[in-house]
Amino acid sequence: MGTVIQEVFRYRFHVLRWQLVQVEVVDFPKPWLLFHLMVGLSLGYMAFAFFRKWLGWGRGIGEAASGPRDYKRSSMVWLIEVFVQRQLFAFSFPRWLIHILIFYGFLGLALLPVAAIVLRAGGYLAVSNTLPHHYLHPEGYFFVKIWGDSFGLLLLIGLASASIRRTLLPEVRQTSNQLDVVLLGLLLSVTLSGFFLEGLRLASLPAEIVRYSYVGSLFSPPGTHTLEQLRPWLTACWTFHALLVAILITYLPHSKLRHSLLAPIVIGLNAAEEYKREDLYWPDMKKYSETRSPQD
Amino acid sequence: MARYEKILGNKIAAGLTRRQLIEVNACARCGECRMWCPVYAQDEREEITARGKLDSLRRFVDGALTESGRKDFINALYECSACGQCHVVCPVRINTHELWEQARLSLVNAGIPQPAGQVKQLAAIKEFDNPLGKPRNERSRWAQAAWEAGLLKSPVPLWRERPAPVIYFAGCMASYEPALQPIAVQSARLLQEAGVDFAILGEDEPCCMSKLRRMGDPAFPREAQKRADQFTRMGVDTIVVSCAGCYKGLYSDYARFWPRPQKVVHFSQYLDRLVQEGRIHLKRRTPLVVTYHDPCHLGRHNQVYDQPRRVLRSVPGVELVEMPRHRAFSSCCGMGGGLKTVSPEIQHKMAEARVREANSTGAEAIVTPCQTCYLGLINGVKEAGSSGMKIFHLNELLMRSLCPDIAHESVANALARTAP
Repeated sequence: MGTVIQEVFRYRFHVLRWQLVQVEVVDFPKPWLLFHLMVGLSLGYMAFAFFRKWLGWGRGIGEAASGPRDYKRSSMVWLIEVFVQRQLFAFSFPRWLIHILIFYGFLGLALLPVAAIVLRAGGYLAVSNTLPHHYLHPEGYFFVKIWGDSFGLLLLIGLASASIRRTLLPEVRQTSNQLDVVLLGLLLSVTLSGFFLEGLRLASLPAEIVRYSYVGSLFSPPGTHTLEQLRPWLTACWTFHALLVAILITYLPHSKLRHSLLAPIVIGLNAAEEYKREDLYWPDMKKYSETRSPQD
Repeated sequence: MARYEKILGNKIAAGLTRRQLIEVNACARCGECRMWCPVYAQDEREEITARGKLDSLRRFVDGALTESGRKDFINALYECSACGQCHVVCPVRINTHELWEQARLSLVNAGIPQPAGQVKQLAAIKEFDNPLGKPRNERSRWAQAAWEAGLLKSPVPLWRERPAPVIYFAGCMASYEPALQPIAVQSARLLQEAGVDFAILGEDEPCCMSKLRRMGDPAFPREAQKRADQFTRMGVDTIVVSCAGCYKGLYSDYARFWPRPQKVVHFSQYLDRLVQEGRIHLKRRTPLVVTYHDPCHLGRHNQVYDQPRRVLRSVPGVELVEMPRHRAFSSCCGMGGGLKTVSPEIQHKMAEARVREANSTGAEAIVTPCQTCYLGLINGVKEAGSSGMKIFHLNELLMRSLCPDIAHESVANALARTAP
């Protein structure tokens, strides 16, 4: 157990090209059995819960799928509603910004392993078996760090803004219930514990490596620390972060967060049916801004 | 108990479509519906909002809703005008008003009836073919009385005596309700002024039965099919519908039973066509600042926004100002979805709020092309007290410009004089 030297490709800015370099991997004891148990059980439970929901939906009346008459337009409607979230934008820019930060923060982090696979296929990541390797042995190499920190930052700003908005604005506070607060707290805890874990890991690394983790490094404890000093904290933080993720995965099918999976389906179904409605999908922004809610 | 709840939940789920069961789970709890709901604005209970109802319905179909929760949900489900505002503002695009109507049907099929007032009204509709419980042979009395009172250029022909390419479908309320009969008379007169070859169905005019769909009566598909078959047999070219509720019924709700909904037009759409074609010449100035109230069944549910406004603008002297909430965001007056039967006081408050909104524009009158909204907004004016706001049906402004002697009040008086 200790610092492991590993060879990876890294883009060197000063020479503007990819070079094979050696990086130090911060290794510390991890309760793998507990990890696999927690993640395996939570993922299995989430799959089971959605499977039960799927069975439950099967109780309903089946409708013949007619499909949209204009696939191009209904697809455009779907893309704009899901990825641009025009509806939210039309109603409230701050709300749209907060939601888009959380949405793209999550999406970016979820796509990180996909991007890593693509880069490995292109020969840019010289680590074998990239997907599990990234998760189980975070080396801190440049691409993963910049990507992860950037999208993590979007997520963090979005969640922090949502928390502030929910706390400070009376009309938003009134519409919140305890479950909304619990979910927001859980998401913030997952994000923050991830950054704290990264900060701890970076605390024993040289500045040349750390600079790519431009957000995580802000969470490093002040002063200089040896890996020996940090190791118990790293193990605790790693375990805590994994536990929070497992809780989030378990809670997802029972929380409003399930809209992240179901909303695109519902929007798609509606877009296939009502894509022609100009009052719904291609509204004149001026008309929208003129017709505000009395509560606005 | 838990077993009973599961069984009941399964029954409710079996009455919803699979898509609706997904929608029930997809709510993001953003609360946008809460901000816009016109019922919630008058009765601030979370369970009334679309978000609250979706949450309860999800737990209901999962067999996890307590008895008191069920009572609250059922009350909230019927204390809703199904105006569709929540669908328009929902970022997830949950088709809420369809869901509420289907949920009502599903509850009835599971043995949970509608509130007593609705049950009574539905029984009257099915027995008398109109919600007022009036005899069938009085349905076209307005036309006869109007001709006798000299309000029409010629007698309105009955379709069974002289078939015509266009049928004027007055609807139950304008046929029977004295306060609304002038609207039917004015409609007939406008069609005569434009030289339209039309007829009415008289005793053969059926109730559209759309209230059955709104309130979740299982007889709706059967009754709608009968009426669709009747229209198909008649081979009519165009049905001009006076009532926004009947229009939604015939145009939207019948679509799955009657593959020719394009033959149904609302009177305001037909008027627009007549004005555009120059068949109605509006010459006399009617100086008036008006605001337009979009009926939910016409606007949000069927996207008829521009034609009635064009008609209004064509009346010389009329200045149209918009309310803060208009078109797809128009605030419901509370007359739809059977809400008034369940909670008249909420309807009155909703209409009052709408009247106050209109007052804020500086308009002298609210104009609407829907006879039901017309009645509802009159309740709002009474509720608002000394607002000074006038409520006009769209026909009224045209008649004031075209033939002022056929104005609403004089028609109502003339009809009252001829009443048996």
